[in-house]
Amino acid sequence: VQPPEKPLLAEEWNKLREDFQSPEIFEEVMLNSMIRCNSPIDVAKSLLTHLAKRNGDVAYNVLVKYLTLCVQQGQVSEIRDVYDIMKFRFKILESGAYNLLIKGLSNSDQWRMALTLLEEVKKIMIPSRTCYESCIKAASRHQEMKLAFELYDEMVAKDVVPTLNVLQSFFDFSRGMKDAELQNELFGILLYLRENQIYPHKTFMRSIKLWFESIPGGNWRGHLTNIKDSGQCPVCNHQLEDSNLTEEEYSNLSERIIRDVIHGTDTFRKTSPQEFEAFQTFVENRLPFDIVIDGLNVSHIKTRRMQCENLFDAVNCLAKENARLLVLGRKHMLMNSSNWKREIMKEMQNKADFFFAENISEDDAFLLYATLRSGKHCKFVTRDFLRDHKACLPDNLTRHLFRKWQRGHQIVFSSVFSQQPAFRYDCVVQTTGDTWHIPYKDVFEEKYSYQVPRKWLCIQQK
Amino acid sequence: MQSANMLLRKIVRCSVLPFAAQHGMKKDLFPLSRTLSLSLCLKQEKSCEPSEKLDLDEWKKVMKSGLQEEVSETVSEPKELSSLAAARETLEMWRLAGRAVPENISEEQLKTFTECPSKSAKKKYLKYLHLKELQKKNDKRKMDEKRKRRLEAQDQASKTDETKKNSFVCMWSSTMDKAYNWRAAQSMIFGQPLVFDMSYEKEMSVREVANTVRQIVLSESCNRRSVDPFHIHFCNFKDDSLYHREFIKQYREAWGKLLITVTDQCYTEIFPKDKLIYLTADSPKVMKTFDHDKIYIVGSMVDRSIKTGVSLARAKRLGLESAALPLEKYLLWSTGAKNLTLDQMMHILLTLKDTADWKKALEFVPKRKYCGFVNKPVKELKKTLDLINTLKLGKGREVQKQFAKSYPKKHKLKQK
Repeated sequence: VQPPEKPLLAEEWNKLREDFQSPEIFEEVMLNSMIRCNSPIDVAKSLLTHLAKRNGDVAYNVLVKYLTLCVQQGQVSEIRDVYDIMKFRFKILESGAYNLLIKGLSNSDQWRMALTLLEEVKKIMIPSRTCYESCIKAASRHQEMKLAFELYDEMVAKDVVPTLNVLQSFFDFSRGMKDAELQNELFGILLYLRENQIYPHKTFMRSIKLWFESIPGGNWRGHLTNIKDSGQCPVCNHQLEDSNLTEEEYSNLSERIIRDVIHGTDTFRKTSPQEFEAFQTFVENRLPFDIVIDGLNVSHIKTRRMQCENLFDAVNCLAKENARLLVLGRKHMLMNSSNWKREIMKEMQNKADFFFAENISEDDAFLLYATLRSGKHCKFVTRDFLRDHKACLPDNLTRHLFRKWQRGHQIVFSSVFSQQPAFRYDCVVQTTGDTWHIPYKDVFEEKYSYQVPRKWLCIQQK
Repeated sequence: MQSANMLLRKIVRCSVLPFAAQHGMKKDLFPLSRTLSLSLCLKQEKSCEPSEKLDLDEWKKVMKSGLQEEVSETVSEPKELSSLAAARETLEMWRLAGRAVPENISEEQLKTFTECPSKSAKKKYLKYLHLKELQKKNDKRKMDEKRKRRLEAQDQASKTDETKKNSFVCMWSSTMDKAYNWRAAQSMIFGQPLVFDMSYEKEMSVREVANTVRQIVLSESCNRRSVDPFHIHFCNFKDDSLYHREFIKQYREAWGKLLITVTDQCYTEIFPKDKLIYLTADSPKVMKTFDHDKIYIVGSMVDRSIKTGVSLARAKRLGLESAALPLEKYLLWSTGAKNLTLDQMMHILLTLKDTADWKKALEFVPKRKYCGFVNKPVKELKKTLDLINTLKLGKGREVQKQFAKSYPKKHKLKQK
């Protein structure tokens, strides 16, 4: 339906309603299209007046729709009126209306009322992230940074994840302020990005850069750059943190992988205790390996070729420099078949150690175990993203550790046998006190979770 | 109600009977008047009528006018609400806002609602209750209509009043029950055992357990009705477990009279190990024929979150043989998980037992999950499927050419 351009009289609304195919939902549909077309508020008012006259009441959902229109057009006095009416009519409101009211009021000079509304919401439920976002933005827009950070801390404490927008607004509105406490809070946000492995997008990065450069007497300078493969920053020659885990993190991660990924709720789901034990003794007797290869995964790189040939190429390619290789496979690879020729398998077994798991066992779990047991230098080869194994880890912290370790230790073969090496440096926000290095996404859109940004913001204090 | 309103308004507008409308007729026309402020707004409407000018904020007056009357009603209520009452209030507001929320909710359901761990869990639970409520309402409506029709039919029948003569006394259902029970009793002595493994309670949510029990009840009833029933065993069944409680909810007093074997023992303790076959979709082995000497085990588990390998792990641990249905071999699978519901399994196994005809048995796989039965050898089909896939992906020019050669005019291919 096309909403009318001017307010209508009751008779005219009636006529429209009667012409509509399902009159019961006429008002809703009409208001929805008004919201879509951003119709003048008077038109909506005339519809409400007509409704009120006919039924003596305006239903709650219609009121909320009208409120949406008011918020969309920033009609503050109307928003207040609707709030008064809602307050009179209903004991409490639901989250949709609160979201709208807070959003509408926080953009006006009556933004403090949005804060009182937020308090009201807290009494009945955990406020949504958009509620917090509106309030925080309103507070920081009015230079009440302390209040804004209080709200921010509160939302993080309640496990409400802040949007990048909120984080960005802190940097935008703190520009040029000289306040040590505020500075620490903003550094805290950068560390929050680090801990949760969040990468800012380009505009957010620009806000960060501008804020640093605006600190009075700070002498900060920011440059955009690409980090060399060696992990050195071309601007300040600083060497980035390497991708190795600390001893504690490393042992923690291996323990978790054995407990949660390999055993999980039931060892029999992925392997069997006998098999795992056999594998453990096999690995312990031959430690340490330099590279662990997922045989089946590698053997599928080129579909036109025999699977054992693919594997053979990969082993040859990696066997240089006396590297100790371990290839994991399944028992069916030992059966002479069209894809697995016995002679080639024999030849490969001279160059690398092989472990063949049962056909129904999962070899990925063995891959992780053998690599972790061999030590920090050991890498592994597979095209698998290992997402299902990451998902078996129960908490975020261990998952981040896993991702970090994976980035540093996984070698990926693409179909032309060019190796994509593991990263030598760690791709997170990092600082040394007088320098900050912040990786950022070039585009605003989400990147794939396995991708790591290649562009960096280098900030140093002169 | 609304049409009554309209009617009234027309009458008022005609102002032929203004006095009657306001005093005498009002009560009759609004027997269920839900809005207290109605009379007031009608008066206002009348007052501005002749001038025909539009007061855009008039709706606010109307909305607030109801206030005085309503406030006096709510004043006595205490300001602070208990958490349950607050939840009830929130639900009511959500319902007004047009969300999928049930109209009536019991204390127990409300408690479950408040205990949901996240917002989305709450939403899902409410939607579930809402749909359940809708279904109940629909059923009730249909029942009422049916009863009405039956009464009418009876009325007609009593008018004609003709007694039918028949040599059988009409008591079909109870006679049938007796016959079924006789067969089930025989199966308890001579029948082939079929085991339901009841050891999955920890793996499931409360709702999944309820679904499992519902499916087992369906399986049991279709087994009882079959020509040659299985002797059903519930193994690893713990008294007072969630399963047990759900079964009592479903069967009530019939639970004690079921002609099945319920035991807390494991199947390996009752039957020789080499006779047992664990049926699981994860099994690497595919079932070829139905063996009348084996004892098949079905895991009593509804697995909504696709936990792979749970039942295969059970079989591995006990060193049992496992098997999967040959779904790939006989059906051109399209969507959905390969695990079937327990009652579908029962139908399939019963049919296999009676006829040994896979095609007939696999009719019980839901139609949405497969495109059709395999009529050509699987290899040929795979080739065509591969061809279709490569064409879809847009790579493999050679394949396209080949395809174009062998089917020159019938198919026009989009060339990039």
